[in-house]
Amino acid sequence: MLKELELKRHAMTGISYMIPLVVASGLLIAIGNIAGGNPALISNYKSSYTLWEAAVTLGVYGMGLIPAVMSAAIAYSIADRPGIAPGLLMGMIANAMGAGFFGGMLGGYMSGWCVNFLKKNIKVPIWAQGLMPMMIIPLLSSIIVAFIMFFVIGRPIAVASFALTDMLINMQGGSKAVFGAVMGAMAAFDFGGPVNKVASLFADGLLINGVYGPEAIKICASMVPPFGVALSWLIRKSRYSKSEADNIKIAFPMGICMITEGVIPIAAVDPLRVVFSCSFGAAVGGSLIMLLDVASPVPSGGLFIVPAMQNPIGFLIALGVGSVITALLLVALKKDAVEKQNDGEDDEEEDVDLSGINIK
Amino acid sequence: MNIVGIAACTSGIAHTYIAKEKLMKAGQALNHTIHIETQGTIGTENELLAQDIAAADVVIIAADIKVGGRDRFEGKKIVDIPTHIAIKSPKALLNKIQAELGI
Repeated sequence: MLKELELKRHAMTGISYMIPLVVASGLLIAIGNIAGGNPALISNYKSSYTLWEAAVTLGVYGMGLIPAVMSAAIAYSIADRPGIAPGLLMGMIANAMGAGFFGGMLGGYMSGWCVNFLKKNIKVPIWAQGLMPMMIIPLLSSIIVAFIMFFVIGRPIAVASFALTDMLINMQGGSKAVFGAVMGAMAAFDFGGPVNKVASLFADGLLINGVYGPEAIKICASMVPPFGVALSWLIRKSRYSKSEADNIKIAFPMGICMITEGVIPIAAVDPLRVVFSCSFGAAVGGSLIMLLDVASPVPSGGLFIVPAMQNPIGFLIALGVGSVITALLLVALKKDAVEKQNDGEDDEEEDVDLSGINIK
Repeated sequence: MNIVGIAACTSGIAHTYIAKEKLMKAGQALNHTIHIETQGTIGTENELLAQDIAAADVVIIAADIKVGGRDRFEGKKIVDIPTHIAIKSPKALLNKIQAELGI
């Protein structure tokens, strides 16, 4: 039952549509704030305004659109095109009520399911069939889900959302370090896989609520594995085979752009040691980010967006320390690589359970 | 076998293309004809041709998100998998499909 709902696939679709918007908006705010010295938002278009005010204002508009885009994309993923109209509306409600990202997600699911339910259960005479997609479905689904958002779940989500934000802002010392370590370890744990996506979703949600620390942890934790592996290779080349070395040469530049996936071929050969070393380094990096009050208003972009962060030097320290720890652990834990006889470039396959795969 | 497919992942910059690469390599190594379209964040690349789809014995959709243009495959045999399966064990996947289809 739960599997049939495909909650994850829909959420991932939402995120994939949302990311470019978040990056563009976050960078606009950061560029405007840095270049313009924290300019005011434009409040009256009839009087004059500067370029930097315009940049920050546009970024803030973009941030406000995020719950709507998330919600619409989830609804689209569930119900195709008819999901978009109610999805956008529910996201706007979530944003206005302060239920933000998580409210938008929920609005998106409900919109999609509601549209599918209506598609299935409303029968109209043939002459009225054109009205179904044009009027009946968008109107009815919007009314139904909007009622739920406005009067039932919007307020509780907003309250929970504020409470979470409050808690994270007011965290002190030890709990800050622990939070950073857990986030960092999760984000690095499976190199862009499901665990990383959970941490990522959490960080993105908080970003919309104006808490930027977790995003910095996520960025750092995505870069520690490739940097750490590359560094360990420089320290002790014998730890890696020739084909692994080739992979490292690709993984490092990918790491600069915050793409962790380059490490996967290295981890596939020796999963336990590599995953442990990377997660540990990223956990230390995450703690340092929290303790040094590093924050990033931009959710991705790697080294290129470091100047846009709050306390960029702190970020580089966290990234450096995390990478060095990962590298030293790798050098200490890994055994020297044995060159394989067959040239079989990445011919090895992991054993994956294929029994759940159906041909339809 | 004649195979067509789509690869698409969440961030649309890495797994999408790794999955495509792995499937193409495995397909060629096993002497299949294979065409894979990528639906990354940049948009659709290497769009499948109508004649390739028509000739295909099976459609492999390796995606973590909703893919566009599924209606092109109406009446075809479709295999839905997450990208990580295509990345981790593409040959075993193709062999399994071939065994099940009995081609």
